[in-house]
Amino acid sequence: MEDQKPQDQAPFGQPPFGQNPFGNNPTPMPKNWLVESILVTIFCCLPFGIAGIVNASNVNSKYAMGDYAGAQAASAAAGKWTKIGFFCGIGVIVLYVLFFVVLGVGGFMSSYR
Amino acid sequence: MKLKYILGLIVIIGLSIIYYRFNPGVYNFFPECPFHKYLHLDCPGCGSQRAIHALLHGDILSAANYNLLMVLTLPFLLIHFFLKVYSQVTKKDFTLKIWCHPATPKILLAIVIVFWITRNIPFAPFNYLAA
Repeated sequence: MEDQKPQDQAPFGQPPFGQNPFGNNPTPMPKNWLVESILVTIFCCLPFGIAGIVNASNVNSKYAMGDYAGAQAASAAAGKWTKIGFFCGIGVIVLYVLFFVVLGVGGFMSSYR
Repeated sequence: MKLKYILGLIVIIGLSIIYYRFNPGVYNFFPECPFHKYLHLDCPGCGSQRAIHALLHGDILSAANYNLLMVLTLPFLLIHFFLKVYSQVTKKDFTLKIWCHPATPKILLAIVIVFWITRNIPFAPFNYLAA
């Protein structure tokens, strides 16, 4: 969660004075979870990954329009869906491995009846 | 925070060893995608495990045959994580600005959905995309 604390203003990439009157963004862009939701989409548990990508799209477009509160809310939603997808994926894998272990142990025991 | 990265690295190395050693198309203890198991359709991530196995053996062509989307996105993800680590080390911001562009998530979403639909079409030009 180190990405969510307010970042100090970076010294690089600042526009020259007076060049871009509406572009001097007062708040840093909230984390858009795009890469994480792509990972969730590619490595299974897809509906949550798709929801993450949709929310990432909301973060980017709202931030570009200047709606910082909306971008924050979309960022929170994107993080929520990405985490749900991630933990569902982990849960499915753990359940599958548990199932396999139980079946394997059962087969092992039954073969020695 | 350091511990999280170290644990993640250990998990990634362990998984790579498992996926290098065992072929998910042959051994049955790898988890199957629930979408494919119950609906018998391919999701955008189906075939990733076999593709990872093929990639770890250097066989990019058969990896692309299993899951083209994963093979195409992997270079971007590698660049992203390399730049992230590099920015952490050098204390400067080298992270890709393309992720923050308003059009990027929309294009990605369109690519994923088109890929999802086309890989389930069972005729000739599309069934090469299937897992």
